[in-house]
Amino acid sequence: MNSYINSYEVACSAGDIKALMNSIYEKKTAVSINTSFIEDTPLGLGQMKYDDFYDLLAEVVQKVLDNSKLENFHNTLLILGSSVGGMQESEKIFFRDKNYKNLDPRRHSIHVLSDHLVDKFSFLDSRSLSTACTSSANALLLAKRLIDVEAYENILVVGADALCYTTVCGFHYLSVLSDKPCTPFDKERGGMNVAEAIAALLIQNTKDKDSVELKGVGASSDAYHMTNPDPEAKGAIASMKAALDDASLNIDEIDYVNAHGTATVANDKVESLAIETLFNDVYVSSTKAVTGHTLGAAGAIEAVISCEVIKKGLIPPQTGLIELDNKSINVPLNSVAMDVRNVISNSFAFGGNNTSIVIGVCS
Amino acid sequence: MKLYIKSYSSYRSDKEDIDVKKELKKRYKLDTRRQDGFIHLGVFGAQRLKEESQIDKHDELYITTGIGNIDVLQRTHLYVCKEKNSIKPYDFINMLGNTTSYYIAASLGVCGKTIFQISDNFTFINSLISIYASINQSKKDAILGSIDLVNYPDEVIKRVLGIDEDVEVISSVNYQKLSLCSKNALAEVEFDAKTHSLDEIKAILNDNNTKILLSMRCNNLDYETYDKFFETAASCAINSYIKKAQDLLYVDCFEDKYKILRLKSLS
Repeated sequence: MNSYINSYEVACSAGDIKALMNSIYEKKTAVSINTSFIEDTPLGLGQMKYDDFYDLLAEVVQKVLDNSKLENFHNTLLILGSSVGGMQESEKIFFRDKNYKNLDPRRHSIHVLSDHLVDKFSFLDSRSLSTACTSSANALLLAKRLIDVEAYENILVVGADALCYTTVCGFHYLSVLSDKPCTPFDKERGGMNVAEAIAALLIQNTKDKDSVELKGVGASSDAYHMTNPDPEAKGAIASMKAALDDASLNIDEIDYVNAHGTATVANDKVESLAIETLFNDVYVSSTKAVTGHTLGAAGAIEAVISCEVIKKGLIPPQTGLIELDNKSINVPLNSVAMDVRNVISNSFAFGGNNTSIVIGVCS
Repeated sequence: MKLYIKSYSSYRSDKEDIDVKKELKKRYKLDTRRQDGFIHLGVFGAQRLKEESQIDKHDELYITTGIGNIDVLQRTHLYVCKEKNSIKPYDFINMLGNTTSYYIAASLGVCGKTIFQISDNFTFINSLISIYASINQSKKDAILGSIDLVNYPDEVIKRVLGIDEDVEVISSVNYQKLSLCSKNALAEVEFDAKTHSLDEIKAILNDNNTKILLSMRCNNLDYETYDKFFETAASCAINSYIKKAQDLLYVDCFEDKYKILRLKSLS
């Protein structure tokens, strides 16, 4: 069974999908500098404007439904990828009360976001995955596998992560955050920007005229170090190779790599090595320079971006790049108009959890 | 959907009085530093599985849990908020689900795919479905670890689980090595993505000749109930019946929907 992406929407620091793609092609970052998370410490963060994250989550999902041929989600599985789940609200309660006595159990764990959507939309069934930065990429991987075995006909994949004090501080004390908008693959890159986002994609076993195909998924586990990737890029290479094999595509059939590209020294070095090893002059860019690193939502939002790149036939330029660190990879400074047949999108997480997704024009 | 169970391991805190961290250091000679109780429990179960079976480095690793590790969140928020200390990097890293998967993968020597799946409904059955879908394509074996950790005082955990204060909660870790191949299998487990209504499940159970066991959520059915409540109890129940070489029909429930597991002993 083939898997088709038939409807999608995002909410991120740059806005909805239309606003996001405009920002990407105009090389306009949506990351802003914030000094209120950590006192006297400027941090580049990708923040959205909303009153309630759960309401925004439902709005994004509603838009996907409205843009689809489905009347409802009663025959749809929901798979949600998130690294923080309900932690934003639990934090607020804890910081207010200095204890968890008033913790709302329905708004705490990882799966509370999917529970909220199940309540609102009566999904057939639901799952939540939490593998940090690969959460929603793994959700896409699972969706494809479940359609392959004909377990479900319709699957809504959602990636959602809200900005939390805990995560911002955690990354800060790991010394990986930048005090400016990040510059992936740049020689002087100074680290990542934590961001929040919601992205939803409807995956079905039937195609329509605007479908993009979810052609292949691949994953690997370095188990090299709890935070750093294997410096020989074995995990990243394995993940991309697995995705290409699953898609039955050759290396030269990939026209664009939507990189994980967090702008940390470690990730970009290893990812560049992996791309250099596998590909020959393929276009590469990271859209995290515009959105920031949306953690658990990254896989889903970058899959949506990949779909748009294919539909528009326009390779995104690398926002923020001044001088390329690894000159053996082809990172464009300007948009490139071409027939984009297939895109590979990478997500790599702590602990060497690697996932790659291949999206392309329908076969 | 059907999977074959090649080996298994089980631990319940109410059945065995073990200091898990000490056991990891003394018996398995593992470094336990910078890890928390949840990780220790997961690695402990994995080591027990390793004693029972051959682990291939390309085996896929799935870890599932009902609520993960609340303790690390509480503890971190306590010292950040109340004591105004900065977050310790290892506490932050340990909050992430794939950190547990990393330590387990490293202890088993596996480098295949690792997934951390969490849910409050049909936790174990849904993980089996995910594994089936994945290894149907990869043709690899898979290792499924189901971890539930209780921290004391257990008031918060009980509230998150939605259970009464007088219900006892326990820690448990259970593993199975799963395959599509029946060779040397101890048991086969059959399951479905389909959920059943109460009437449907009653009809299925009426027609059934196998031993029936219900999760503690199945309030509207009149059969034997598993003796303890934790989200991954199905995993422990399955293992106990594999040990007894007996067949089992296990029923789980969530919000008036039911799913079943059929275990058939091959011993």
